[in-house]
This record gives sequence, structure tokens and C-alpha cells, in this order.
Amino acid sequence: MLAHVQSCEFPRFRPVLRRAAPVRLAMTRPPEALALDALLRRVAQTRDRAAFAALFDHFAPRIKSYLMRLGAPAAQAEDLAQEAMLSLWRKAHLFDPAKASAATWLFTIARNLRIDAIRREKRPELDPQDFQPEAGPDADDAITLASDEVRLREALKDLPPDQAMVIQQSFFADKPHSQIADELGIPLGTVKSRLRLAMVRLKSALGNTP
Amino acid sequence: MSIRHHPDESLLLAYASGTADEATGLIIATHMAFCPQCRQTVTLMEKIGGRLLETLPAAPLSRQALDATLARLDEPVAVAVPPRAPSKDGTPQPLRAYLGGDLSGVRWRRMGPSLAYKPLFRRGGISAKLLRGAPGTEVGAHTHRGMEYTLVLAGGFCDVTGRYGPGDLQVADSHVRHSPIADPGEDCINLAVTTAPLKFENLIQKIAGPLFGF
Repeated sequence: MLAHVQSCEFPRFRPVLRRAAPVRLAMTRPPEALALDALLRRVAQTRDRAAFAALFDHFAPRIKSYLMRLGAPAAQAEDLAQEAMLSLWRKAHLFDPAKASAATWLFTIARNLRIDAIRREKRPELDPQDFQPEAGPDADDAITLASDEVRLREALKDLPPDQAMVIQQSFFADKPHSQIADELGIPLGTVKSRLRLAMVRLKSALGNTP
Repeated sequence: MSIRHHPDESLLLAYASGTADEATGLIIATHMAFCPQCRQTVTLMEKIGGRLLETLPAAPLSRQALDATLARLDEPVAVAVPPRAPSKDGTPQPLRAYLGGDLSGVRWRRMGPSLAYKPLFRRGGISAKLLRGAPGTEVGAHTHRGMEYTLVLAGGFCDVTGRYGPGDLQVADSHVRHSPIADPGEDCINLAVTTAPLKFENLIQKIAGPLFGF
């Protein structure tokens, strides 16, 4: 039984790890995160359609891929990827490069669209009016944020594979952690401790005290 | 005053990744309104989501997708909602959206002399409700068929697992048997989410529980 679970479940997620590097290498000159942020600012400031098209080419196929991994049929994933990009055009003035990268911002847009359109639920959201904005070292500085992104990228690459896998599945499997544990044939407590260890590593890579 | 009981990484990640159901999302978001530490963790988790999105292999769109989207850029958009009036009593926004106002304006339903409740919503077997207990009220001993999440909004309570004050989140699963007692002094107001009905041990509560949706 265990062997069966492993043969079905592990390989489904391995390709993500295996394919990631070749994809980056295959691209001639991957637009760097900062360049993407700058394109997004141009969309906000001058309603630049060429900048929008460049962002579309980069992000829409990844959003479609994200939604398909979470079970959306290709046609629906494509429609929602276009919706997400429309939403980027309409809300571009709300993008704050000091708070998040373009990729993070689009991830939250795609995540919320999926909850709304596929799960037909609302996402309970925080309101910054409820609390004083955090004055953390990285709260208001786009350059610190960019170096954080680089450190996060490295730290994610360096995660032990068992921790990286539960993090990946948390984002791409749309299953509760109890089910992920069952399918991996490990106790729920092990999944939770892998998540905890991964978060401790990532926080310390970014200099956040736990 | 400081928060002692937080949601674990698994719960925060379910909220950050968008896999949490709406009721669980509501209780985590409301906890976060109290808790800078968990806000910071969820912000980091969203950055991880952004990074994972970047590393996904692209799924190419049909050739006309970009043109179709460009053609829609000038579509009129519904007017943005005006900013919400701030809460008068500090009720966190995630909760206000479901109450339609402040905690102080809630119309409570009585359930015995010292307990009151306000159902918020129910999806499948998962329900979210507010509970209010007068100081010293004891909720009868019970165990759980599913998960019970309890977030203190005002006052406090204690049980075998510890003491809980404003912002603290208690997570009880089928292994926990408890009979929470509200602290003396002020009413204890909690947001409670259950994924299955509770199992009361007292006969009257066994009968009455399901009538009130517990």
C-alpha cells in the first residue's frame, strides 16, 4: 500500500522540482524581478499597453499553469489567467513595490480569483485600518525588498527536499494537510513539523526572528 | 495582553495559499488582525507563493488570448466601493464584513441564562458563530467529532489546555475533552468555527446542542 502511494504521489510533484531549472535556463534572457516591477509601475503611471503585453506574456502562462495544477480545466484556467491580468490592469495603481514583488502581487490576485470563481467562496480579508502598519526593517524599502526576494529564492532552493515538497503541495495540491499526510504515508504531525522547520529556515534566511 | 496561542504553520499556510475554507479563513484573518507576528508570517508565505508561481513551467495560452485581453482593457469597470467607516468599538474588519457592523451592534440569541450566540454562516458541515458567556459561565464538558477553533474577541476563558485572552486561538480536535469556563469580570465573546457538531456529555445539552446548531 505504501509503495503504491509513493509510486503515485511522489512523481506527481517531482517534475515541478526537476523542470524548474531547465525552464529558467532555456529562456534567452529572463526578465528580472525588478524589471517586472518596473513594467507594472509603467502600467500604473502611464497606462502603457506595451508594458502590459510584456507582463501578460510573462505571467499569464504561469497563472494558467498554477490554476491547472489546482485542478482547473485548461479552458477555465486560461479564462481566469486573462481575468487576473485584467485585474492587474485595473488595480495597477494599488501595487506597492515596497510591499511585494509583481509576482507576489499576482499570486494573491490569482489565488483570490480562484476562491471566488472556482470555489465560489469569499476570502476574509484584513483591513490595514485595523492596525498600525508594521515598521519592520523591510516594510518600506523597495531595495531591501528586492534583496529579500533574492535571499528567499536562494533559501527556497536550499530547503531539504521533504520540506520543499510539503511547501509546494500546500500551494498546488488544494488538499488539507491531513490528506497530504495520508497520501505520503506519514503522520500529520510530520507534515506539520516539516512546515514549521521550513518556515523557521526561510524566516532566518530573511533575518526575521521567529 | 500579548497573544500566547497562535494558529500553527499549517493553518496560516492554508490561509496564505487559499486552500482554507471560508470559516477557517475568517477565524485566521480575525486572529491576524490581533497578531503582528502571524501577519508577518503570512506575508512571507505569500512571497513564497509569488516565487513558486515564477518557477512554474509556463502553460501557453491560445494565440488570440493577449489580443482578446487587450481589447477588454477599456471596458467600463464598476465604481470602486467607498472606504468603510472605521469600527467604533475596534471590531476587526474580517469579522465586520460578516456581522454587517460592529460587535456592539450584534443581536444575540439567548441560550439559557448566561449564554448567547449569533450564527454567522454554515457551509457543508462547517459553521461559524459568535458565542457570549457571562463571567464565570461554564460550557458543559464536550469532545469533538471534527475540529473546533475558538478565537477570543473579548474577555477570556480557561480550560484544561490553558488560559485564553483576546486574540488567542484555541484549536481542539477529537483528542481534546474540555469544559471551558469564562473568566470573571467581563463577558467572554468568542468567534467559534466547528467542522462537525460537538459531542456534549450532559443529557440536556446533548438534546439542546443540535437545536442551536452546535
